Amino acid sequence: MISKKGSAGKPNKKKPLVSRKEFLQIAGATGAAALVTQLITSGPLSPDAIQGIGEKTHGEEGKSEHSWCMAIDLSKCIGCQYCLWACQATNDVPDDEMRWNVGHPERTESGTDFFMTRPCLHCAEAPCVKVCPVGATWKRQDGIVTMDYKRCIGCRYCEVACPYDVRRFNWQVSINENPYQPTWGSAEVERRSRGVVEKCTFCSHRIDRGLAQGLTPGVDREATPACVNICPVNARVFGDHNDPQSPVSVFVQNNETFRLREDFGTEPNVHYVRPEKEEV
Amino acid sequence: MININISIPKESRERAWWIWIGVLGVMLAVGVFGAIRVFVKGLYVTGLSDQVPWGLWITQDLSSIATGAGAFTFSAIVYLFRIKKYQPIARAAVFVGFLGYTSAMLALAMDIGRPDRFWHPLVYWNVHSVLWEITWCVILYSIVLVLEFLPILLEGKYFDRWPNLRKYGDLIHKASPVFAAIGLGLSLLHQSSLGATYGVLSGRAIWYKPSLPVMFILSAIAGGISMTLLLTILVGKLNRRQIISRELQYDISRFAGYALLAYLYLKIWDWAATSYYSSSPGTSEALALLQSTTPYTRTFWWIEIVLGGIVPALILLNANFRKNDRYTMLALGAIIAGVTVNRWNVTLSGLVAPPRWSPGVLGNLITVSYLPTWNEIIVSLGIIAYALLAFSFGIKYLPIYPKDEEGAH
Repeated sequence: MISKKGSAGKPNKKKPLVSRKEFLQIAGATGAAALVTQLITSGPLSPDAIQGIGEKTHGEEGKSEHSWCMAIDLSKCIGCQYCLWACQATNDVPDDEMRWNVGHPERTESGTDFFMTRPCLHCAEAPCVKVCPVGATWKRQDGIVTMDYKRCIGCRYCEVACPYDVRRFNWQVSINENPYQPTWGSAEVERRSRGVVEKCTFCSHRIDRGLAQGLTPGVDREATPACVNICPVNARVFGDHNDPQSPVSVFVQNNETFRLREDFGTEPNVHYVRPEKEEV
Repeated sequence: MININISIPKESRERAWWIWIGVLGVMLAVGVFGAIRVFVKGLYVTGLSDQVPWGLWITQDLSSIATGAGAFTFSAIVYLFRIKKYQPIARAAVFVGFLGYTSAMLALAMDIGRPDRFWHPLVYWNVHSVLWEITWCVILYSIVLVLEFLPILLEGKYFDRWPNLRKYGDLIHKASPVFAAIGLGLSLLHQSSLGATYGVLSGRAIWYKPSLPVMFILSAIAGGISMTLLLTILVGKLNRRQIISRELQYDISRFAGYALLAYLYLKIWDWAATSYYSSSPGTSEALALLQSTTPYTRTFWWIEIVLGGIVPALILLNANFRKNDRYTMLALGAIIAGVTVNRWNVTLSGLVAPPRWSPGVLGNLITVSYLPTWNEIIVSLGIIAYALLAFSFGIKYLPIYPKDEEGAH
């Protein structure tokens, strides 16, 4: 447009191939596109950057050498439900509807009855971590998917995103007496307030305190999740997946295990043994 | 309502207006009562659960934003692409958009567990969350809408006493093209991202598809145009004058028809590609469950496709039908209903047909359902009453529409 005006005044002057304005526009657009590309491929907006979210937003320091992991042997489980109750006592979940660790009677396709239990699977590619608009749910360096209850706004997008139904929302103020205390344990964490979502933490408070005391989670009871400790038949195994000598690593090596709905691409950190192990 | 325009004396029309305001006032009061009850007792008074955590209010939020999309559409057309013939409806579009977005925010404030922390996404960033991006876009776009609406407000009679203030209004109005550009960008982002909210969830097969964001923006354009035009025609009928010229009305009707056609085209292909020509275990499992436990399939085909899509498209794209105001209004209303039902269906389908994670067969028998409680419903009606009240007063006291148009009868 500028060159048109110019050519009207000075008909003989050669008009430049690209005007300065056009050049700047193209250069600017290319620069912006390059910047955006950089940001979304390897920069802070890249999909991989989500792994470091705890570092940035929750003051987590350094890399963890641990990767906490659980295994559940459905062929050993006798369906006593102690794991559910111990969890409710330890994490102070009085309401059965709010169980972090759920279980229900199940039957295989070939007709074998078993008891299906699951805690939070602490997925490596946790959908709940990705969707949280405030980063209230985040993934620790040691693989635990945990929550900042003070930051949660209660939008419940994490509940919508989680395909395993492990998240619980505080629909009302929790004032009920906990029927599982003190028989199955006592409260080790604060009860959550109305309006926030909560979830299983792999009893991270035990792990953190235990490590500080030089204990080994999965081996020393004080540093191991309540549901694992209580199991009368050792159907639940816990430990550090990075340590080949840990109970869970040894267990996974010696058993044929699977994870729930691997087709979702969530990479869960809870491994299962099929209920019909003996028959195979 | 359509028949009120048969000559009625002025006093009784005035009386009818106040009855209308009174009814809305009562609805609003009941809604406020419902809202207070929710704040006091907690969200357990809703029909929501951990399995169906989103329901009526999220549907209302999505529908209000979709039907408020006329604001960015007409602002872009008039101020950015400078197609000036659409000018007479631009202000109404901005006003309707403003009411739509404020309604959505009210619905959201009800829905989130800690409304006192609504500002958290602004301070605590998770750039990987579509909801974070939506929150930012919606807040920024609401500011744009306020700035676009401010000059209209300042032109109101009440502000005659502060002529200086009005100068600032004119100044803001001069920047309309800038707001239109920003509004277009923000709207394209968040209207699509609202679809992506569901589309990115790999664990829920019925949602997990790249077409959802595009279907959301296309349906929002069709729904937004329809809401603005329907209200404009309605106001004209009630005031017995032709607010915008017939030609403009036909133009906009046809525009809505084409937007709807684009949406329908994608929607049909989306269905054909995911459920007809192919079959993935997750999708067919979810559809079978929906078919057996909910009216999803029926409402999808009859309300979303036929009544909310094909029928209004035929009416609005046919020159003869388009000339009949009654048909036009029915068609526009049908589009709005179709978009609203679509938002309900999308939200509920993925939740009511959850993925099966148990390796056994009994887990498949666990079904979840959702029905809004009376408390949820009165709050929703209260929010609608707020929007209609504000619209009614705005039309009466603010220069939303041009004073008198040629061709008024």
